[in-house]
Amino acid sequence: MIPETLKTSLQARVASAITAREAAVDVMKELQAHYGWLTDEAVQEAAALLGLSPLQVEELATFYEMIYRRPVGKKVIHVCDSISCWCADCDKIIQYLKDKLGVGLGGTTADGMFTLVPCCCMGMCGDSPAMSVGGVPYGRLTPELVDEILEAERHKP
Amino acid sequence: MPKLIIDDIPVEVAPGTSVLEAARSVGITIPHFCYHPALAIAAACRLCAVKLLDGPVKGIQMSCALPAQDGMVVSTTDPEALKMRALVIEWLMLNHPHDCPVCDEGGECLLQDFTIAGGHSRRRYQGKKRTFQNQYLGEGIHHEMNRCIECYRCVRFYRDYAGGTDFGVMGSAGRVYFGRFQEGPLESPFSGNLVDICPTGVFTDKTGRFRARYWDYQFAPSICQHCSVGCNTSPQNFQRETIKIVGRRNDQVNGWFICDRARFDKSYLNDPQRPREPRLDGATCGYDVAVDAAAKSIAEFVRKNGADKLALVGSTRLSLEGMILLAQLAEVAGGAKVCYFDDAGQQQGSLAAAKLLHEENAAYVKDIEQAQWISLHALDLMEEGPMLALAVRKAFLAGAQIFLVAGDMLPAMKVLPFKYTAVETLDQVPFEGGGKGVIICGAGSKDPDLLAEMASSGAKLVMLQPGPNGFAAALLAQQHAAVPLAELVAARQVQGVVCFEADVPEMLLSDLEVLANADWRRGAVEAKAPIFLPTTTWAESDGTAINYEGRAQRFERSRVAGLPLKGLDPKYYGSATEAVSLHPPRVHRKDVPGGAERDAWQVMAQLIERLGGEALEPFSGKWRALRNLDPEGEGVRIFEMGLGE
Amino acid sequence: MDLPLFRHNRPNRVVTFDEYREEGGFEGLKKAFSGMSPNDVQQAVLDSGLRGRGGAGFATGRKWSFVPRDLPGPRWLICNCDEMEPGTYKDRVLLEHNPYSLIEGMTLACYALGVRHAFIFIRKGYEKAAANLARGIEEAKKAGLLGEHILGSEHSIELDLHLSAGRYICGEETALINALEGKRPNPRSKPPFPAVKGLWQGPTVVNNVETLANVPAIVANGAAWFKGLALNPEGAGSKLFCVSGSVKNRACIELPIGTTLGDIIDGACGGMRDGKKFKACIPGGASTQFLKPEHWNLPMDYDTVVKAGSRLGSGGIIVFDEGHCLVEATLNLINFFARESCGWCTPCREGLPYVKEILTRIENGRGEEDDITILREHVKYLNYTFCALAPGAMAPLDGLLRDFEDEVREHIVKKKCPLK
Ligand SMILES: Cc1cc2nc3c(=O)[nH]c(=O)nc-3n(C[C@H](O)[C@H](O)[C@H](O)COP(=O)(O)O)c2cc1C
Ligand code: SF4
Ligand code: SF4
Ligand code: SF4
Ligand code: FES
Ligand code: FES
Repeated sequence: MIPETLKTSLQARVASAITAREAAVDVMKELQAHYGWLTDEAVQEAAALLGLSPLQVEELATFYEMIYRRPVGKKVIHVCDSISCWCADCDKIIQYLKDKLGVGLGGTTADGMFTLVPCCCMGMCGDSPAMSVGGVPYGRLTPELVDEILEAERHKP
Repeated sequence: MPKLIIDDIPVEVAPGTSVLEAARSVGITIPHFCYHPALAIAAACRLCAVKLLDGPVKGIQMSCALPAQDGMVVSTTDPEALKMRALVIEWLMLNHPHDCPVCDEGGECLLQDFTIAGGHSRRRYQGKKRTFQNQYLGEGIHHEMNRCIECYRCVRFYRDYAGGTDFGVMGSAGRVYFGRFQEGPLESPFSGNLVDICPTGVFTDKTGRFRARYWDYQFAPSICQHCSVGCNTSPQNFQRETIKIVGRRNDQVNGWFICDRARFDKSYLNDPQRPREPRLDGATCGYDVAVDAAAKSIAEFVRKNGADKLALVGSTRLSLEGMILLAQLAEVAGGAKVCYFDDAGQQQGSLAAAKLLHEENAAYVKDIEQAQWISLHALDLMEEGPMLALAVRKAFLAGAQIFLVAGDMLPAMKVLPFKYTAVETLDQVPFEGGGKGVIICGAGSKDPDLLAEMASSGAKLVMLQPGPNGFAAALLAQQHAAVPLAELVAARQVQGVVCFEADVPEMLLSDLEVLANADWRRGAVEAKAPIFLPTTTWAESDGTAINYEGRAQRFERSRVAGLPLKGLDPKYYGSATEAVSLHPPRVHRKDVPGGAERDAWQVMAQLIERLGGEALEPFSGKWRALRNLDPEGEGVRIFEMGLGE
Repeated sequence: MDLPLFRHNRPNRVVTFDEYREEGGFEGLKKAFSGMSPNDVQQAVLDSGLRGRGGAGFATGRKWSFVPRDLPGPRWLICNCDEMEPGTYKDRVLLEHNPYSLIEGMTLACYALGVRHAFIFIRKGYEKAAANLARGIEEAKKAGLLGEHILGSEHSIELDLHLSAGRYICGEETALINALEGKRPNPRSKPPFPAVKGLWQGPTVVNNVETLANVPAIVANGAAWFKGLALNPEGAGSKLFCVSGSVKNRACIELPIGTTLGDIIDGACGGMRDGKKFKACIPGGASTQFLKPEHWNLPMDYDTVVKAGSRLGSGGIIVFDEGHCLVEATLNLINFFARESCGWCTPCREGLPYVKEILTRIENGRGEEDDITILREHVKYLNYTFCALAPGAMAPLDGLLRDFEDEVREHIVKKKCPLK
């Protein structure tokens, strides 16, 4: 169940849209922020808010890269594996992340803190290799910098 | 009218026709998966590639999405086009299982056909095949996602055409998945069409999986007998069992599709409990013995009580042939009464509708689809004429306004695949605009004045009949001034009845003598009748039905009568003279086990002869025009033949 | 140099509304609203020679002219800020420094096109750019430069943000329209083109961020001025080049159209990284063919780059040095496209994983002679897809087989990557 305040604000968002569907991505993102991932319950809540069937929400939810339909850690690490980052040896950074977190791609750390997933170009190509942690972008990664970032992110709310 | 050349053949087609359809019009089938004439163009599979050699567009093009234009020179056999099509097949087979022999679609699979036709026989791809989990989609449809070729036909049908919201497409790239949010029965009452529309074996009819291959089936053009819409079907039978029923195209009636009742509600056909043996006083007897006895019983009754105390009762599920012969039989019996309805209200409404409708005001299905407004009157469309809901949906999608005059029916109604405005009474529906409006109502049990009022609106009319052949029953009832059985009983005008496929309620029968009963169903009449004459169902008989709009349609015997071979009682392995041998069944019989059933109208013809009359061919006299009705045609509206009055 | 886009940029922060106005911002808007007709604005854009900066390079003024003026019902303008083409980050850099040029440019475009409601479609990950835009829109509204009765006129224009959730295909204009409507972002068939039937079936123009951000300066300074910015006579204006890969300073820079590849790399980017040798580059984001050392002096202009066998595309230049295996680079690109295919049409959905499987084998020393044939078939036949994603994906593969076939063959013959 979502808190009443979130529900009212989402209802307002839907009401302000030209057609309710238009607000679907916003609604899914807000619910994801609330639950940590888009749970089955969240899909049903989104459907109710948007006047769609759960399936119709699922059709959208499963299309987008940044909507999670499976449980994830408190923060998701998206590490870019596209071409500019490849030029900047992102393979090494990805391996480093795997080793450090003790997970494979798609895995979540034992403490439930991080989920590691590769992602497409983040538009940080000038600062490659790049990743984002819980939505915050970081570039010019080195193993040392990764250590620092993860340590800081672990303690940030 | 664009003129173009396809494979050296000059073709002229209506503007807007695609190159694929233009080719089809001269007998060239361009391979295709995603194209379906009833659905919006997707241009997704890319199989229908052709090469344009000259004209306004050049090079490789998708023929399904390319409107034919003047001056086009099209080659369907150009090496480049062939290569493209071969690659499409190769791409689709990268992930497709190589196990047609254990796939229920095998033999009627578009992918199988085009894979063979395209010559794809060597696997170059060295990667693994992707796999999916299947979903439970209810008792009607089996799901096997690994066989999907992502042609998007299913979603375009289920979601766009039929308005379903619980089935769709999820994921992206190589992981698109066609299914439901969570497992569970598909909600749409049209879901069964997924079986017909999916070009591969993703959706197969769970009620008939792995029973037979396409080439094993016996089938014939048939007409659904569940309601008065009269959708065209094709029952697929194997060894005296109706395994599956699929939709058959008729653009004047049901387009390409049928509802789930038409498809799945069929177990009664194969029911081993169906009464199949003629009976005399509780004991099985030969068919002719039973007919003789019935004739004798009728003659005796007439002699004792007078012919006017006897009623021959038919129903709206009798074929037109049977209805016509019923009146002949009554005459031969010395002027017995005939009933086509037992309920007075039903007859009144049904007759009023048949009288009110004529060529100008009886809506064609196209009239519904192209209406500007449609008003539904106190009827449960999903019960009384489900396929018309899809026609209404087409109008709705094109911007028509839909009203529902529901009274207190509203809560009970099933979900309709369109949005509507509920109003209290007929007056609240804006009638003006007449010609482009359609009123849809059920005719049975309707006040004739109300029906007349609707007819006076100037709108096109759909008056759904009670029962699959209600329109014909009304015509015959009118012709022979038939009185409903209930009225005859109330007025104590009859003492005895002979029933032909009539579901007379027990209450009406209490004071009547039931002389004989001919039916394929069990019921109150059968329980009371000393003589029982088993008849064939629509699946095992030839016949004619007239649908709600007065369209006469012929159906053909799709299989022989008799018990299905599957599950046949071992008693049939023996004979009168030899003991039952369980295996192998060595006894050779000429007769089909349980195959004594005869068409109801043939039973009547035999009774006529036994009673000293001469059975006329049903379609003589004013009905002659229906004699050569083409079972594979679109049917004929009776008004056009002057049969309306 | 007086180039239209980056001249307002401050190092490491976003320009303020006041700063932008002091430097001549919103002058174009004022000029248009005091004396130019919508047609005049459109004509100026047409005359300026401005071409779409989103990748295809279609003349912007011409695209605008396709919008029917006499249809009832609303028409729409959408700014495409999906920017997910690998190697491309110019729109982000622009918007993180200056959201105002885009806001002003969109207001002008709306004025020219008779649009009352426009959207900016922003990719996931560009929250900072979105925040700048949201703030900028409020500021512009307060100052009467956007919203109801702009500059006291009868024109009212609304600007809304749509924040996406990450998929490259959303950048394809018809998929973008579906996404904005809240539908699955599969592309739509063309025709009808969006200019005739787009968002909610109304006439719709989709333009890239950079394209629209150029409009204020064109209106303020005139078409001739804009045209004259280019170094070559065929070109017009400036271009944002965003460079990544083996250069010393990977940077997003604004340079006149027609600047040579060599000048971009040696000039603004300070040359190659660690003294490495230039092997090849992809000049316009992931869906363009390679340019080789022989193209060092190629003027970077739409038509010239096409003549050289590639495309200027988005201006995302990815530089490879002699240590880079181009088979593996191409494999990386194909992996991206295969993952980002929308799944609608067969050749893209199935063909790209096929190519990926083959390139993976070749890179790992398990390639076969036949493979090159199969790859070539894909290069040719993946052109016949539903949208331009798959043909774009084939561009680098085409380049690889055209310019570096020897390198591919070496992998197959030696049964290993020669660079590993
Ligand atoms: C797969 C694909 C992705 C695209 N992504 C973008 C994008 O991220 N940004 C963009 O401006 N144009 C993108 N485009 C091009 C757009 O379809 C469209 O041509 C462009 O936005 C038009 O703007 P312009 O004329 O100003 O360049 C993409 C095209 C394709 C086929
Ligand atoms: S779906 Fe068709 S091709 Fe596939 S296994 Fe079944 S019969 Fe064969
Ligand atoms: S399930 Fe069948 S109809 Fe649907 S996309 Fe797959 S192959 Fe086509
Ligand atoms: S080429 Fe086809 S599958 Fe690929 S993105 Fe375009 S429409 Fe989708
Ligand atoms: S390629 Fe990694 S951020 Fe662009
Ligand atoms: S039939 Fe034409 S693309 Fe599928």
